Amino acid sequence: MQAPSAQISLPGPAESSLNTGVPEPLPRTTKKLSATKRLFLISPVRKALLLAALAIFWQVYAEMLNNELVLPTFTSTVTAFLRSCLDGELTNNIFNSLKILCVAYSMGIVFAGLLTTLAVTTRIGTDLLELCTGMFNLLPAIALLPLALLWFGLGYASIIFVMVHSVIWPLSLNIYAGFTGVSPTLRMVGRGYGLSGPGFIFKILVPAAFPHILTGLKIGWAFSWRTLIAAELVFGTSSGGGGIGWFIFEKKNQLEIAELFSGLMAIIIIGVLVENFFFKTLENRTIQKWGMKL
Amino acid sequence: MNATVTNDETPLMTKDLAALHTPAPPQEPLLQVRGVTLRYNTPEYLVTATYKVSFDLNRGDRLVLLGPSGCGKSTLLKAIGGHIRPAEGEILLHGKAITRPGTDRGMVFQEFDQLLPWKTALENIVFAIRNTRRTTRAEVVDEAGTLLKKVNLGGFEHSYPHSLSGGMKQRVAIARCLAVHSAIILMDEPFASLDALTRRKMQEDLLALWSESRFTMLFVTHSVEEALTLGSRVIILSSRPGQVSAEFDIDITAHNELSNPVLIRLRERISRILFKDAPEYSI
Ligand SMILES: Nc1ncnc2c1ncn2[C@@H]1O[C@H](COP(=O)(O)OP(=O)(O)OP(=O)(O)O)[C@@H](O)[C@H]1O
Ligand SMILES: [Mg+2]
Repeated sequence: MQAPSAQISLPGPAESSLNTGVPEPLPRTTKKLSATKRLFLISPVRKALLLAALAIFWQVYAEMLNNELVLPTFTSTVTAFLRSCLDGELTNNIFNSLKILCVAYSMGIVFAGLLTTLAVTTRIGTDLLELCTGMFNLLPAIALLPLALLWFGLGYASIIFVMVHSVIWPLSLNIYAGFTGVSPTLRMVGRGYGLSGPGFIFKILVPAAFPHILTGLKIGWAFSWRTLIAAELVFGTSSGGGGIGWFIFEKKNQLEIAELFSGLMAIIIIGVLVENFFFKTLENRTIQKWGMKL
Repeated sequence: MNATVTNDETPLMTKDLAALHTPAPPQEPLLQVRGVTLRYNTPEYLVTATYKVSFDLNRGDRLVLLGPSGCGKSTLLKAIGGHIRPAEGEILLHGKAITRPGTDRGMVFQEFDQLLPWKTALENIVFAIRNTRRTTRAEVVDEAGTLLKKVNLGGFEHSYPHSLSGGMKQRVAIARCLAVHSAIILMDEPFASLDALTRRKMQEDLLALWSESRFTMLFVTHSVEEALTLGSRVIILSSRPGQVSAEFDIDITAHNELSNPVLIRLRERISRILFKDAPEYSI
């Protein structure tokens, strides 16, 4: 009841409040923005708009170019995507890729865990870790492919070998950085409860280092996903069950360029889903909730 | 103003402390600190934190370590906690040298990051209990809740440490320390960050808790008032390196009431020792 009347009798210049001794009313703290303005403040909305603009640009440019072999239109790419998803060709390949990814990623995590455990418990382990990460982290996984072929032949084993390589070093580096960064006080608290060995690592070090571990997991995922696609492309025909990389390779050979683009689209979509849903959720449920965000 | 405050609290304090001071039979000290020198090895220097410090801690003592900032109080507590090895001398618990941390010594650290940030206030206490004793979870949760209420944090059970203030975190840490039922409780300036009123209340509560369960306590502070309020004995450390410069038994008949003439005199003596020892500051 009072608010409107106060607004009507709003004193104009600041001096009036000095003269009359009437305190100037405080500015309204909440003011409703118009619907469009509010919508525009939401970052996903802005990004969706941008995405739409890019798609339109693509469509227009491709039609102008009018060459399906160089740049298929946006609509034909989407149709090809839907078609190859529905007839199961693309979905099967995606499934195959994800299967290998899960195997290699989990193996990488296990090895990185073992290596860092060794590194925090023994001095020789520390040296080993520092030495190995220092050397192998600089070695692109793809450069190991010829060697992998020699050792494991064509097939899953070679791909998994290079993928584990792509996960293990950056992940170990991050886990180790996280472990060494755990505050001395928290360590003393853990030791004070008589914790040592695996109990100490899992109950104190791992959660305390989780921000770094999460970073390492993200980097490891990104590396292994890229490595997988690249390895499939290189192995091409002979890797058995195929995968997205193989799908792209094949479509290029068959000059089905819209399908090739739909393969690229699938890679992007999967990447976005993993990063924005899986890792985002994990982050919100852990370090965000704990106030430990780096 | 001051006088009324203290008068109001006189009956309580008198009652508490009368109950506390029953003469104990002579016994082997629970904790013996013998000529302990503690050093930090940094790449550039060798920092001597304490030099040949000796004292005994008897069962049921409330020993206060008083000294200026940087005199090695925290370092000494960490050594008793088993986190730092003495460079010289020995620390005996139950007559045996301390070699490692253990649940027989509970510790409240001076640092604010001592709570596990991934656990709520309640879970922090539950974690402490479950790592040290075998009981059912329901029982533990109950006990942890009660302890949180005791340190005035009822309602904050499910808050994560990052959402608590510095003083609240310290109170959770105190509750967590009391939950373990250690033989010795080591407290490193736990009330330093509290406002005067809360500190007063916490001191009283600590004394009340002590008269309930008679734990042995080693309390670090740099406040003379706090030392006289809480201690049954006060040890004064000189600065850099920390050495025992004086030791006072607080007279049992002179209840720890700060307006008591005996304590006023003691307070002056302690202040004189502390200031004589202090380095010259120029502003
Ligand atoms: N981790 C460390 N590395 C090297 N030197 C240290 C370390 N911690 C403390 N010191 C040194 O040891 C000495 C004693 O430090 P300590 O923390 O025990 O002091 P304190 O008496 O607890 O002081 P305060 O009252 O300020 O907490 C100081 O001179 C300090 O510089
Ligand atoms: Mg200290």
